[in-house]
Amino acid sequence: MDNPDLLKGKLVRLTAEDPKVIAEANVRWARDSEYMRLLDSNVSAPVSAKKITEWVEKDMEKDPPPEYIFMIRALEDERLIGVIGLGGNFSPHGEAFVGIGIGERELWGKGYGTDAMRVILRYAFSELNLRRVVLDVFEYNPRAIRSYEKAGFVHEGRVRQYLHRSGQRWDLIFMGILREEWMASHPDG
Amino acid sequence: MNEAGLFAGKLVRLTAEDPETVAKPYAEWARDTEYSRYLDSNPPYTFSAKKWKEWLEKDMERENNYFFSIRTLDGNKFLGFVALFELHWQHGDTMVAIALGERDYWGKGYGTDAMNMMLRYVFTELNLRRVSLIVFEYNQRGIRSNEKNGFVIEGRTRGAMLREGKRWDFIWMGVTREEWLKIQETA
Repeated sequence: MDNPDLLKGKLVRLTAEDPKVIAEANVRWARDSEYMRLLDSNVSAPVSAKKITEWVEKDMEKDPPPEYIFMIRALEDERLIGVIGLGGNFSPHGEAFVGIGIGERELWGKGYGTDAMRVILRYAFSELNLRRVVLDVFEYNPRAIRSYEKAGFVHEGRVRQYLHRSGQRWDLIFMGILREEWMASHPDG
Repeated sequence: MNEAGLFAGKLVRLTAEDPETVAKPYAEWARDTEYSRYLDSNPPYTFSAKKWKEWLEKDMERENNYFFSIRTLDGNKFLGFVALFELHWQHGDTMVAIALGERDYWGKGYGTDAMNMMLRYVFTELNLRRVSLIVFEYNQRGIRSNEKNGFVIEGRTRGAMLREGKRWDFIWMGVTREEWLKIQETA
């Protein structure tokens, strides 16, 4: 069996971090409301470091972990740039939800997110042996939609006018990728 | 999709039970050392019903708790349990354990039927790929029952047990999804 460095991509690597490091980065990024509105359908609001730290620490106690959440670091300078994770109840149907956020806005649109997504898909399909990975993305986030298409996700449906923001209505778009589709485009795993 | 009940077989059904209800029978069966020696490699020991109840309640809190009680279809008699442990979702593999506490029901197909129900649950509801178990070399009845359900001997831990002055192997048996499905077709 080949042993590629499973969590390393071309531009980024996925890492485990100290809860305090995770909390500090997420609190800082949460101050950027554009980031929050791209990331989350929840009402954008600042978050406390203590709350995140406690939540991460509680999660770390559970075995198996309820989610597989990683921080994203740029390979070239080890800079902490974002967060990505697989969650939801995987079994018995073998599906996971994936979510990603690139907190450092100067790095948007440069391929970092797509690379991180490729790494987590490899983890999902060759380590967790899942059958499908699904995500949702907002209609007003075309950069992300393009990134997910590049990573192999296929449009599966839309929840019409799900979001109400800035006086407008926007669709919630669901995209998914099947194990067979991923394996066909990654014969070497 | 096949809508036949998942939890009823030919002789038995699988049920969830209140720890309060089953703790007493479990404690009583454990006083039968032949039963204990078939089930467990630990020295037979008597636990109180209270301890059984606490242990069962704690077990119910675990993730991936698939612990079923076995009752007869005819008469609803409580016979024993069949349960999964060491379940690894990413590999699609699990271990199974079964025990019938009522000795009058040994060797009559009740255990085989209960195990078959569990296999059906594992392969058609949990979507796992294979099931493993350990049976003790001196439990010929258990070995034969497992073979009827498609289990194949995969290995032995030689002389793992020392009982009555003799050494006995742990026998590892396994059945894959494909093998079990094939048996169902021809059954």
